Amino acid sequence: MRRKVYTITLNVILLLLGIITVYPFVWMLFSSFKVNKEIMALEQHLLPQVFTVENYINMNARFNFMRFFANSLLVTIVITLAVIYTSTICGFVLSKYKFKGRELLFGFVLSTMMIPWCVTIIPKYSMIQKFGWLDSYKALIIPAMFSGFGIFNMKQHIATLPDEILEAARIDGANEFFIFHRIIFPMAKNGISSIAIFQFLWAWEDYLWPYLIISTKEKQLLAVGLKMFSGQYSTDYGALFAATAISIIPVLLIYIIFQKQFIAGVASAAVKG
Amino acid sequence: MFTKSHPLQSKSEIILRNIVVIGMILFFGIFLIIPIVIAFAGSFHEWNPLSGTYRFLGIDNYKEVIMSPLFWTSLWNTVIFSVVVIIFRVGLGLAIAYAIHSALVNFKSFFRSVFYMPVVTPMVAVAFVWKFMYNPQIGTINQLLGLDVNWLMNPKTALAAVIIMTIWKDFGYAVVMFMAGLFSLPADALEAAKVDGANAWQNFRYITFPLLKPMTLFVTITSIISYIQAYVQILIMTEGGPGTATYLSSYIIYDEAFVKYNFGYASALSFVLFVITAGFTWLSFRVSGTEE
Repeated sequence: MRRKVYTITLNVILLLLGIITVYPFVWMLFSSFKVNKEIMALEQHLLPQVFTVENYINMNARFNFMRFFANSLLVTIVITLAVIYTSTICGFVLSKYKFKGRELLFGFVLSTMMIPWCVTIIPKYSMIQKFGWLDSYKALIIPAMFSGFGIFNMKQHIATLPDEILEAARIDGANEFFIFHRIIFPMAKNGISSIAIFQFLWAWEDYLWPYLIISTKEKQLLAVGLKMFSGQYSTDYGALFAATAISIIPVLLIYIIFQKQFIAGVASAAVKG
Repeated sequence: MFTKSHPLQSKSEIILRNIVVIGMILFFGIFLIIPIVIAFAGSFHEWNPLSGTYRFLGIDNYKEVIMSPLFWTSLWNTVIFSVVVIIFRVGLGLAIAYAIHSALVNFKSFFRSVFYMPVVTPMVAVAFVWKFMYNPQIGTINQLLGLDVNWLMNPKTALAAVIIMTIWKDFGYAVVMFMAGLFSLPADALEAAKVDGANAWQNFRYITFPLLKPMTLFVTITSIISYIQAYVQILIMTEGGPGTATYLSSYIIYDEAFVKYNFGYASALSFVLFVITAGFTWLSFRVSGTEE
């Protein structure tokens, strides 16, 4: 009996917290289908009284928002794929090969995670300017191709894979490139999932770097677009809600796709942590 | 033939290793080490890319940082912001993870996904939504709670409002990390405690929590590093205001560097902030180490 009371109480508390957590999303979604007059009205209702999709049309027609969306999608996917590859191969070498200076190199990679963005962003900006990469996606992609966080995670993860598999493949005459691409890479998918989720999110939400680098409006990315949006059309809240709702979809999709492996990946990295 | 004392290094292993090691060194050298060196040198100069100024100042920028009241205000704000958010993030994360993990809760993966949702949402988008929610007239928070508070415009509530939003955004990360930690706990330790008649609280206090200490430390340190660098929510929601109520240190750096183009001063600020980050990280290692 007491157990039953506990069970119900605990589930109810969690459900309440869950509702609080989800409420802003629901509110935003419903608001994006309201007309502006209703959004600004003093008397508020959660559900739209007059249902409209005009905000979604406006957001694109007035502001070309889907262009930003497509740009962000391209840049984010390229960065995420690059980081997955470099993290996995660096993690493999750092965890499975023994060589002089390995610990030093790994310690260095760890310490890169502690450097705040603000220390390096000014010189990086000047360097990009000297390279003549301003206003190009090269400047967004190339400086983001390796990640200390990614390498650290993949090293922890690949270290948990048994060495016997490597030995067996070597005895069969496989070279290391084959071993990495055909054996280690597919086996590391739990670790890769967590890199995919985090790196996709970070690249997708990055604001300052694209804001500094990209000056042509048609090339601009989504996070900067959202901010520009609010400045220029400060009264069109409906369209901003619509744009915000749209901007959340890809990251949520990535999370839903990878979450099963991601949870397993967190668990295995955490044990070693 | 294949003895363990002489590990056989194939040619392909050496090639692969060299490519990777050289690639890593080149990348981090170009995009991390060189920028750090340039920034460090720049922090001793008056450096403005718009006017083309680059003039040696000695330690004047650092002096100016230390003398600036705004810097101290922002540092204080940053400490309050970070400490409060981290306490709630770790506390809520641990409590919720423990609750979900217990046998009493059904729909474990449902709850986990719900709490993780804000974590995987872009900060810019979330900050806009909350800015609307805090609106004194039409915002849903005042409407729901029946309050009349101008959250983001009142110096007394603005920082709290940003803190609440950041907790909402980030606690789910701690939930998932602690769930992973709980999942990997040795079952026999918990069994033994149960046999000895420990109640739920004792079980948590003396067995589970000590075993989760490495995870707690991990979450705390990654949180310190990221919160000292937080600025996007400020940029979108308050721009440091009202007055200086929500100025965070990284927001000042953003402001000095990319609004006022004082690169030298901003670099000096960055290094001060970096030293503070390192100090707090070291401190949390010490605190967790000496407790044992």
